[in-house]
Amino acid sequence: MTVDLTNDQEELLRAAIKFGRASLRQEPDAVRADRDILFDAEGWRKCGEFGLFKMPVPEEYGGLGLGLPEVLAVMEGLGYASADQGLLFSANAHLWTNTIPILTFGTDAQKSKYLPPLSSGEWVGANASTEPEAGSDVFAMRTRAERRGDRYVLNGAKTFVTNAPVSDLIVTYATLDPALGATGITAFLVERNTPGVNVGPHASKMGLRTSPLADVTFHDCEIPVEQRLGREGRGVQVFECAMEWERGCILANCLGVMRRQLEQVIRHAQSRQQFGKPIGKYQSIANRIVDMKLRLETCRPLIYRIGQLKQLGRNAELESALAKLYVSECYVKSSLDAIQIFGGYGYMTEQGVERDLRDAIGGTLYSGTSEIQRNIIAKRLGL
Amino acid sequence: MRDNGTIKQDLRNYILSEVLPGESPANLKDNTPLRTSGVLDSMGLLGLVSFVEEQYSIELEAHETGIDNFDTIDSIASLIETKIAGRDKA
Repeated sequence: MTVDLTNDQEELLRAAIKFGRASLRQEPDAVRADRDILFDAEGWRKCGEFGLFKMPVPEEYGGLGLGLPEVLAVMEGLGYASADQGLLFSANAHLWTNTIPILTFGTDAQKSKYLPPLSSGEWVGANASTEPEAGSDVFAMRTRAERRGDRYVLNGAKTFVTNAPVSDLIVTYATLDPALGATGITAFLVERNTPGVNVGPHASKMGLRTSPLADVTFHDCEIPVEQRLGREGRGVQVFECAMEWERGCILANCLGVMRRQLEQVIRHAQSRQQFGKPIGKYQSIANRIVDMKLRLETCRPLIYRIGQLKQLGRNAELESALAKLYVSECYVKSSLDAIQIFGGYGYMTEQGVERDLRDAIGGTLYSGTSEIQRNIIAKRLGL
Repeated sequence: MRDNGTIKQDLRNYILSEVLPGESPANLKDNTPLRTSGVLDSMGLLGLVSFVEEQYSIELEAHETGIDNFDTIDSIASLIETKIAGRDKA
């Protein structure tokens, strides 16, 4: 299995690497930002100027109208060239769980109002779906939406909302009536400055620390009917669409990280001498590096396959779950291998190597845990 | 014009092929609870709602898809008949 990018896609990947190296955080700034939990607002602005958020958006809404394979190539390049995966995690959340649902389910008025500021990067998008008592079982949500004339009134609490502290527009979900189950859930577009929206402080987490995350509560928050996203009671479709895109695409930048890790450990194994020869000459080290190479080469086709399927307008639920499961777990394993090969230096915070592991572990949890991905795959296999 | 029996057969065929592949048709009765028994999960429910809307050219409101109206082949068929009658009157 290989991935043959077109010349244009290769060019975009190279352009992303050049941009990432010049404009996004590098070591040791990334180590400090990770320690101090600092979102790179300037990097976000530069990503906007670079066109990252415009790529999948049609030209009529201020976008570039590029295909998904092109976006994935750019994400891979940015992952390789940037030491701050938290920023790219935020960019992924913005694109796949905010911009894409608006593009897919939004009215013309909603698209015209929100896509231009989102695609320029002037606005930051967030997605608020998880609740304290509704994690993997997201449709057990308790946040209520009560219809009052031409408005809905939202009340409830969301947790683990990526980008919330810096967000301008939140895609959220609430039930009209818990007794309706899945057909009661409805999606809404909530502007951050709407009265009744309260965003908590930036929470500290194990990895992806520069990507801001907070709880969001809605208290008698009035939302005009025009801000409903999709049909009443069809929020599950919006949510599933967002998850399919996110699961399939959110790890493209991690391909770049895995490539960078591979190059780093090869250089280290060639130059680090122990017992009179480079450590790469010891099979126990070389075998780890071979496994890292194998993982990278088997992960890339899974990610780019999703780009092909979505480009053809096809459902990619199964392929997205396969990619999410496999790539996230490979990313963890390769990050562990990198630490082991670097030894004590890999364990030290200042080197930035251990940060990759902390970032990688998140991949087996967000957008559906590995267990949930296996459930999805098993179900699609008829089990 | 579909009668109640045809509608039930449509629903039965859909559920057996899309939700319960391999299940014996004899195990799916008109009064088998679909939601409260876990036969239909969230996506299965939405799939059935979409099938009903497309098959009968009707639009179901969220409040019409509660367990009272939408849990058995019997209750769903009755809802469809009511919606078709309302659509034809309009």
